[in-house]
Amino acid sequence: MATVNNWIDHLTAASKADGVAGKIYPGAGSEGILVIILVIIWIGWTVISSRQESDKLEKLARRRPSSNAWKSNITDG
Amino acid sequence: MTSQLDALQTIFTEFYYWTTVVLMFLIHVGFCMYEVGASRYKHHQHTLMKNTMLIPLVTVTWFLFGWWIYWAFPTGPGLAPSIMTESTGLVLGGGFGGNDLANPTNELMAVTLNDHIMGVFWAAFLLFSWTAASIVSGAVIERITTFAFGILAIAIGSVFWSIDASWGWHFDGWMLKLLGYHDAYASGVIHAVAGGFALGVLVVLGPRIGKFSSSGEPRNIGPRNPWLVTVGLFLIYTGFWGFYAACNVPIYDLGPEYGMEGVTFFTATNIYLTPTTLSGITMNFLMSLSGGLLAGYVISKGDPFWTYSSGLAGIICASAGNDLYHPIQSLIIGMIGVVIAYKMHYWVERKFKIDDAVGAVAVHGYAGFAGLVICGFVLNGYPSSGYGVGEMWDGSTYAAINPLGMFVGAIVMFFVLGMIPGWIIAKVLNGMGKLRIPREVELAGLDYQIMEEAKEDEKTVASSSS
Repeated sequence: MATVNNWIDHLTAASKADGVAGKIYPGAGSEGILVIILVIIWIGWTVISSRQESDKLEKLARRRPSSNAWKSNITDG
Repeated sequence: MTSQLDALQTIFTEFYYWTTVVLMFLIHVGFCMYEVGASRYKHHQHTLMKNTMLIPLVTVTWFLFGWWIYWAFPTGPGLAPSIMTESTGLVLGGGFGGNDLANPTNELMAVTLNDHIMGVFWAAFLLFSWTAASIVSGAVIERITTFAFGILAIAIGSVFWSIDASWGWHFDGWMLKLLGYHDAYASGVIHAVAGGFALGVLVVLGPRIGKFSSSGEPRNIGPRNPWLVTVGLFLIYTGFWGFYAACNVPIYDLGPEYGMEGVTFFTATNIYLTPTTLSGITMNFLMSLSGGLLAGYVISKGDPFWTYSSGLAGIICASAGNDLYHPIQSLIIGMIGVVIAYKMHYWVERKFKIDDAVGAVAVHGYAGFAGLVICGFVLNGYPSSGYGVGEMWDGSTYAAINPLGMFVGAIVMFFVLGMIPGWIIAKVLNGMGKLRIPREVELAGLDYQIMEEAKEDEKTVASSSS
């Protein structure tokens, strides 16, 4: 996983062949997989949070609190 | 980097943009405070959460495709050839200006020793994206679902603002070449587009319950916490400093860039790589802020909410040309923008029953639109780009800044990329039943359940003897 094992070797190679030793993050070369994982996280979060919100709104709508009921929920801290 | 001077220039530029990003974060803090201050008590926490969650949503999508869009679309596509590829197709190649560098799988989009600028430049643009989405957030408070807002935030923050920036806020953008479009500090590319988008959403979303009487007369639902509104707007002003600095390239040698042999001219430039100075735009920022405050105080008869917002509207209106205006011109333009925004807000509210809860469409949309049109007259004849001649551009020259081009540009920003997409996406979300919260919840308050749980928790703690 480690892209760099020795900074002296790495920077020496980089200075000799400018541009070939730039990547220093772990798993260099796996960028495509990381992007796919990010897309899955994004879509997954959207689906899950949307369901959570819909459930919460439906439950509250069924209870039909009056427009002033929230005042009785004010706490004094 | 092997030359110490090159290294200094690069590291200075890296640090410069990093500083602007930190400053611009205050814009978002300000928007959050402002929205909470403007919303009613029973909606506070939801209002804050909605605006907070646009941060990760826009960031992730900006990483995946927003930044890529910016570098891919300067030709339209199909409207004007790129000065780099000489083609009217999407810019898909590599190298500077080519969008391969914004591909999320590219090493430049990560920690690489070959580049010090991409990350901070990406982040500066990202903070603009948050701003665009946050502008919409304020207008729709107290009745939109978080899901719908998330979709809309991504649409404006990672798609439509990115397209408009590619078209009109890019040294290779087709709007510069064909229209002579000039928008140095984003009157149009951030503010008019986001204001227009918000208006499109509001048309579908409808007003808050109780905003209009049965006869259609608007009722005032004023800010519930004027101090939060005040501090929020002052933080937005503060973040705007970073925004202005981020719109500049801090140091650039324009001689070789324009193909002028033997000429060296280091300067700051705007995003179009035409010269300006950080010093000059600082004066213009303050003078347009002052013009907005002066006009807002008078036209609103000292209303604090409108006076503070007018300071922002003044800056926004003058922003298109604040790289070149005289400070007194900036002040006057800021004043004009505020009068237009204020009058338009109430006219649209009465005529079309639009409930813009924080005046976002007015302050950003109308003031931004007006700023573009005014810029067309005041900067009429200025070159829209330094690339009008020289080796990099072998087509016709870039159009000069002109009133008609700027008016068309304002239409593109406010309506074509703003209001129409906002309306369409809101219509789709509404058709899915996902746009607006249930009426019962709106009356009860979005925070009802959280508040109820907090009350129960407090009861439990208060009754505890140990």
